[in-house]
Amino acid sequence: MANPNTKFLVVDDFSTMRRIVRNLLKELGYTNVDEAEDGVMALSKLRGGNFEFVVSDWNMPNMDGLTMLKEIRADPTLSSLPVLMVTAEAKKENIIAAAQAGANGYVVKPFTAATLDEKLAKIFEKLEKSGA
Amino acid sequence: MVVNEEISTSLYYDRTFDCDAAKISPGEYYYTDKDMVIVTVLGSCVSACIRDTVSGIGGMNHFMLPDGGNADKDNPASESMRYGAYAMEVLINQLLRNGARRENLEAKIFGGGNVLRSFTSMNVGERNALFVRQFLKDENIKVTGEDLNDIYPRKVYFFPKTGKVLVKKLKQLNNYTLIKREETYASRLKTDSVGGEVELF
Repeated sequence: MANPNTKFLVVDDFSTMRRIVRNLLKELGYTNVDEAEDGVMALSKLRGGNFEFVVSDWNMPNMDGLTMLKEIRADPTLSSLPVLMVTAEAKKENIIAAAQAGANGYVVKPFTAATLDEKLAKIFEKLEKSGA
Repeated sequence: MVVNEEISTSLYYDRTFDCDAAKISPGEYYYTDKDMVIVTVLGSCVSACIRDTVSGIGGMNHFMLPDGGNADKDNPASESMRYGAYAMEVLINQLLRNGARRENLEAKIFGGGNVLRSFTSMNVGERNALFVRQFLKDENIKVTGEDLNDIYPRKVYFFPKTGKVLVKKLKQLNNYTLIKREETYASRLKTDSVGGEVELF
């Protein structure tokens, strides 16, 4: 497990889903979690918010998760922020598009706690190796 | 194998209502902006009929919470809650993607009958009904009608264009098809761990 104080932002337009992800993160030992309900709100929280990890849905009003991911990668102050997509979009095109836009991982709903844990661990491990 | 909510492909022409119809089975959903009827038969499963009151696009799902076991029961992040939230989200996302606006959405909810005799001890139907009510409350989607719980299966006809719903309580079942179908669905949810595929990259 990475630093338990790692600051997470959970982005999803369904409050039920935000609560689920927040609870799963808590079960994994991460309690420093904030929420945003779309890409626009997420970006404004991320800019200057010292966040260290983003878990985001894809389909959201105002700004979807993919657009948000592209904005993050294009912003020099956020570009290296790890982003894990957690989404009901299960098509190959979606997964490829997310990978090309620079997602660090992709989890398809409905997912298990073990899957989320495994994905987070993998991302943290890679980040450590690259010395980030 | 992964249990995914699938869009129904059972389309037919309904002579009684003189319009196109889509029939949905457990684990399926359907949405349309056309003048048609969506039909399903519910035992302990629940259906949410959700529509945009302005544009008239609407849809219906049909699901139950998987039995996550007692240890997991009250955990808001439990596997069964996640599956329920997913089943609701898939339908709502489709509506939003096709022009519905969240603030215009309203819902009517049905089912959750205590009809599976082998399950009476835990009353799956009641749990399903509680879940769908709570979900809509948490998501600020107004519930304008409901017919939940009780012991009878229901046949539900939803007309998305107008929002009209007809419910027929089936007090006498001519055969066990409905119950068998729900039991198969329940055991499929139970055996498959309710988790999406992991894509590695």
